[in-house]
Amino acid sequence: MKPSAAPSRWSNTNRISAALVALVAAAAFAGTFFFDPVPPGLPGLGAVEFPRLICVIILGLALLLALQEPGPPDPDNVAPDRGALMIWACCLLFVPAMALFGMLGAGFLFLVTTGWIWGERRAALLLGVAGASTLVLWLVFVKVFRLTLPGGLLFGT
Amino acid sequence: MEAFLGGLAVMADPYVLMMVVLGTVLGIFVGALPGISGSTTIALMLPMTIAMGPIPAICFLGAIYCAANFGGSITAILVNAPGDPSASATALEGYKMAEKGQAGLALGMSAVSSAIGGIVSVVVLIFAAPMLARAAYNFGPPEYFALALFGLSMCAAIGGDSAVKNLIAAALGLLIATVGMDLTTGVERFAFGVMELSDGIGFVPVLIGLFAVGEMLDQAARRYGRAQIVFADAARVPGWPEMKKCMRSIWIGSGIGTFIGALPALGATTAALIGYNETRRWSKHKEEFGKGSIEGVAGPEAANNAAVGGSMVPTLALGIPGSATTAIILAGLIVQGIRPGPHLFTEQPTLLYAVFASMLAANVFYLVMGLYMARLFARISLIPPAFLWPTVFVLSVIGAYGPNQSMGDVYVMLVAGLVGFLFRRAGFSPAPLIMGLVLGAMVEETLKQSLIIFGDDVTGFLGRPIALVLFAVTAAGLLWPVVSRLMRRGARAASA
Repeated sequence: MKPSAAPSRWSNTNRISAALVALVAAAAFAGTFFFDPVPPGLPGLGAVEFPRLICVIILGLALLLALQEPGPPDPDNVAPDRGALMIWACCLLFVPAMALFGMLGAGFLFLVTTGWIWGERRAALLLGVAGASTLVLWLVFVKVFRLTLPGGLLFGT
Repeated sequence: MEAFLGGLAVMADPYVLMMVVLGTVLGIFVGALPGISGSTTIALMLPMTIAMGPIPAICFLGAIYCAANFGGSITAILVNAPGDPSASATALEGYKMAEKGQAGLALGMSAVSSAIGGIVSVVVLIFAAPMLARAAYNFGPPEYFALALFGLSMCAAIGGDSAVKNLIAAALGLLIATVGMDLTTGVERFAFGVMELSDGIGFVPVLIGLFAVGEMLDQAARRYGRAQIVFADAARVPGWPEMKKCMRSIWIGSGIGTFIGALPALGATTAALIGYNETRRWSKHKEEFGKGSIEGVAGPEAANNAAVGGSMVPTLALGIPGSATTAIILAGLIVQGIRPGPHLFTEQPTLLYAVFASMLAANVFYLVMGLYMARLFARISLIPPAFLWPTVFVLSVIGAYGPNQSMGDVYVMLVAGLVGFLFRRAGFSPAPLIMGLVLGAMVEETLKQSLIIFGDDVTGFLGRPIALVLFAVTAAGLLWPVVSRLMRRGARAASA
């Protein structure tokens, strides 16, 4: 489990952050033009003024951020390695896996797979911990809190 | 008095008491885990509390909040890895003490000073919150608008790389709060025809995503090995000479922590750092600092735990969060159908005094547990990340899905997780975003109500002295860093 090599260059770059923030604010501002019209005769501010005001404030702050010198890069911000990308992919695959194996089934598979990618190589321990964790989650959420978790295509409702 | 006794009576309920004990154990547990903070845990536990009912839920969350600050000091002292950001000041002297073979004494002093700081602040809370609430009875929408703006402006000082980034995060939180149906006009905003969005974006999935999933994605990118623990027998109860030496630090820390905590947005981490600096400034043994000073453990520990009670003052009395964690607790109360504010003191006094009583109890519980089980809790830091973080993710998915049984909330949580990760990478703190999200509805509603009162004339605010003072304080707080920098530059230019 060695940490990845070099600090990523894209982190802590104020101008890129500012551009992304401004893009979000501009998109939201544009989005306000698609709101339904406010019924006539209502007093005070309508539905669009407050979001537009916030968007303008965000654009102003983004401009200020773009003008600021970025601080020194955070040494902990290492570039994601192959393992990290695989773990992120597992997170994305959790939802489709849930549709097939149900929430607890997908959870068990996720715990085993990501635990392995994370660096745990003791298979018996990994399976045991994943099984025990799934059992505890089932007891707490299904039995104690009476929550209905999706069973997926394979395991039920 | 009747309400206070009612609150104490609630604590006699075995179920509530069990929740406080459970919250305390869980708080110490997660506080001791580097990477998982009290706020992350409270966000994760929020969905579970919905089934508990308001009083046990708030007692459970309050106990986690109290105990997590203390738990962070255990690993700060034994591993030099603060389990909670608020314990980072404790690590400075605590780990040095541990290296000198005084880990047990450092742990003992940490437990005692934390408990004293925590209890002092709860006593202040019991007296100050009702007084503040009574004063707030005279507040109308303009004053609440000014107060909410003041709270948001304080976000500039919490976490993150810069004040501008914090303010951007807070403004983004305000923008997210506008998603869904506008209550005054009935117009849907940013819902894009998606039914799940027309009710607005829920607090729970956003909180879980930003704090827990964002942290998990970040941890996946930097997978470190496990921590090395310093040998410690057990926590040792400090003797009279040590208590005498530290009493001044504990009082300084308790006072600073309660005051800082009561300011909107500023929480335990700021309190601990200021508490450490002030302890050193007023110490008679300055030469010991940096080499393992017991006063350097007592001061910040008293401060960060005192900030807990302090931050509950504006949260309960005004509905303005005193810290990022209380913003999550506030969201939890709103989910339970309770809107904190001055009226709470007349409508549900038993709930309030039950919260006060549970916080007092949590402080006593973690003192006992801290003194006798610190070594056991320290071993928590040895849990391999390969087991810990994947479990956090699975718990997050269930937590986001649970309250509404909605996959839409799971998608919101995943998006919030990505945002949380990008925030961490780009030096933004997620805490101001939560403040903006929680205060968003209040800011918009009170602004609209104020303008209706003033007949759409913004200058109407000039006729409201309390609002004007709050606006002035907000402006001064925001502009002071710029003005002071210009003044320093001018002074340098003049001397050159």
